[in-house]
Amino acid sequence: MDFALVDLDEEHRALQQEIREYLGELFTPDVFAHEHETGDGFNSKVYKGLGAKGWLYPELPVEQGGAGFSLLQRKIMDVELDRQDARVMMMRGTSSLPMSAVRKYMPAEVSQPILKACAQGEAVICLGYSEPDGGSDIANAKVRAVQDGDMWTINGSKMWTTGAHVSTYTFLVTRTDPEAPKHKGITMFLVPLNTPGVTIQGIRTFSGERTNIVYYEDVQIHDRYRVGGVNDGWSVLHGPLDAEHSIGVDMSGGLTELSIGVGFAHVLGRSINDVAAWAHKTTGPDGRSMAEDIRVRERLGAALVEFEAGVSTPGPMGRVRASDALVKQAAILQDLVGPAGLLPMDEEGSIGHGDVEYAHRFAQGTGTYGGTVEVFRTIIAQHVLGLPKASYPGSKVFLAGKKKG
Amino acid sequence: MDLYELRRQDYTLEEISQEVLVAFGDFFRDQCPTSVVRAAEPLGFDQDLWDRLVEMGTTTMGLPESAGGDGAGVVELALVAEEFGRAVAPVPYIEHVVTSRALAAAANPALDQVLAGAADGSHIVALASFPIQPGSRQLVPAGAVAKSVLGLAGDDLVLYTVTQSPAHVRNQGHTPLAWWDFDSVSDRIVVASGASAQRIYTRAHDERMVLMASALVGMTESALALTVEFSKTRETMGVLISTLQGVAFPLTDIATNIAGARNIARKAAWFLDHEPDERPELPAIAMVYSSQTATHGTTNAAHFQGGLGFTLEADVSLYFLRSKGWSALAGDPSAHLVDIGDHVLASAK
Repeated sequence: MDFALVDLDEEHRALQQEIREYLGELFTPDVFAHEHETGDGFNSKVYKGLGAKGWLYPELPVEQGGAGFSLLQRKIMDVELDRQDARVMMMRGTSSLPMSAVRKYMPAEVSQPILKACAQGEAVICLGYSEPDGGSDIANAKVRAVQDGDMWTINGSKMWTTGAHVSTYTFLVTRTDPEAPKHKGITMFLVPLNTPGVTIQGIRTFSGERTNIVYYEDVQIHDRYRVGGVNDGWSVLHGPLDAEHSIGVDMSGGLTELSIGVGFAHVLGRSINDVAAWAHKTTGPDGRSMAEDIRVRERLGAALVEFEAGVSTPGPMGRVRASDALVKQAAILQDLVGPAGLLPMDEEGSIGHGDVEYAHRFAQGTGTYGGTVEVFRTIIAQHVLGLPKASYPGSKVFLAGKKKG
Repeated sequence: MDLYELRRQDYTLEEISQEVLVAFGDFFRDQCPTSVVRAAEPLGFDQDLWDRLVEMGTTTMGLPESAGGDGAGVVELALVAEEFGRAVAPVPYIEHVVTSRALAAAANPALDQVLAGAADGSHIVALASFPIQPGSRQLVPAGAVAKSVLGLAGDDLVLYTVTQSPAHVRNQGHTPLAWWDFDSVSDRIVVASGASAQRIYTRAHDERMVLMASALVGMTESALALTVEFSKTRETMGVLISTLQGVAFPLTDIATNIAGARNIARKAAWFLDHEPDERPELPAIAMVYSSQTATHGTTNAAHFQGGLGFTLEADVSLYFLRSKGWSALAGDPSAHLVDIGDHVLASAK
């Protein structure tokens, strides 16, 4: 166990300082205003600025457009980005997963220019996974891809394709063999979004984030945009997914986060700090500081307990726990500060530049992002507790009243 | 709080810690099956088990080398506490260990005799939960088996010693609780005074919260394990109850809470060992979260065994009754929350 401050040598301290200053210049007020207005999760100036230094995907080797950062250097970078605004960095998150599949499965002459553009911040990739009637069940994809010689024809629609309108490519899950068992008839493509037949329609969420529905109507794609084998899409998808969601042992010496919900917990952490600062500046109806009010003291204590639970619970369990913590506590903190907690960032008198107001709206999405908490509870039931697979209402066993082991 | 500190978040146990965990896990599994726990009711003390625990070095491992101990830190003690809680063992492990350490920390020669008895397990010591005020008595955890109780009396930290422990009072958790009327105890040693008295007492109180938090983690895990097994064999409407989301999901929540509570307790222990002034609110956070985890976890573990889980015969009842019976000894969570909130407010100034 080790929770000590990382003792940075001179070289790392200099890097930290350089990053902090560079990010300070890059994340100007117009970046935040743009994000607040559009909910893009992307900013061209920021991405190109980071890309120019090899800092957009700094874990990549220099020859691939990264900076060859060690774990410690990456940790320094992540903390500094978190200090700025994680929201704008969303499309970096959606790009990095497909980038490793592109590198692994596509021929170099196709993948190199794409990966280079990504590393320079000239291109980003969105995830074309979910469908209008599919939700978190990716393996149930119905978007159809049919081969004719070197070309594929794609038809169907994808839902929740966040960032499609700012992306260059989408990492698309398609059905290529409708007769095969559902995990065995899937093929992955990296579809350029400027291909004729692609239509992107925006959907606004109440967190402010924009997502999209994307229609594919007789979209013609060359076979070189296929990622991995035909009907082998599930293993292409699962390689990176498993790496991301491993319930494995921490091999990083504590330089990676334990809980995959730590980003959610940090949104709660910012609200806790904002409400504490508000309490010191605010006088209650009895003329005393709100920092002396027993309700404020107890509820801030309860919120910090929940914050700790969010950052200290490992892996997929942490994702569920951090989401639950944020959903409950964001609402309670808003109640605590009263009407001022309803004011968004650009209104005079808002609390913590609107953090408290934002947290309650953002929290709701965390129960769904990357698979609903119910999907994760199902995973925990089977893989942590070793419980048998779920029985669902309407399944044959209920209808026939038959036994099932 | 500083959200942008560059701290390691490494929860993995060192090899030596892992060995402590395994050794005590084996000990309690072999020496303290639930039949031993039941046989020790209602007092909640098994002299034979205590003697064997003393032989294991449990009463000396946490004492400093200067007091004849092994100098183990709170992390190791918390790992033992987790296994102690898993077995709901009828021994005053937590009270005795934290009080012995407080006495050793005082480095007062007048305490040598008591400390020697505490080290060899023959003289059980305990900690008063509330300040000692003239004319009032209080319930002392392990007070029915302790010969000495350490408590704050005004500005002094005082050790009260009796030749015979007061009578046991029956209680929900089957622990050796007793009323101590300190006015009637004439054998008193002033262990420390002023700021040093406060410092030693606060430290002991923090250690007690962390060890109790760890014990509650182990206890809840035992209850969950019973109910997970039950749910894999019990059928309703032709299906195993564990295949129903209405059962499986609440069970995953218990497992999730346990995993977090374990890590928070260990982290709190680490900070007490290495940077005690850095996160002074962590012991209370660990205590509150483990208390919530145990109350919710054992309640649901009993509930999902249906009517059977409501019977005394079911072992899950042992954990249900002790979850509150133990956690309530470490103070009202609501009071802890106010303290935690005060730390949040202080760091925001």
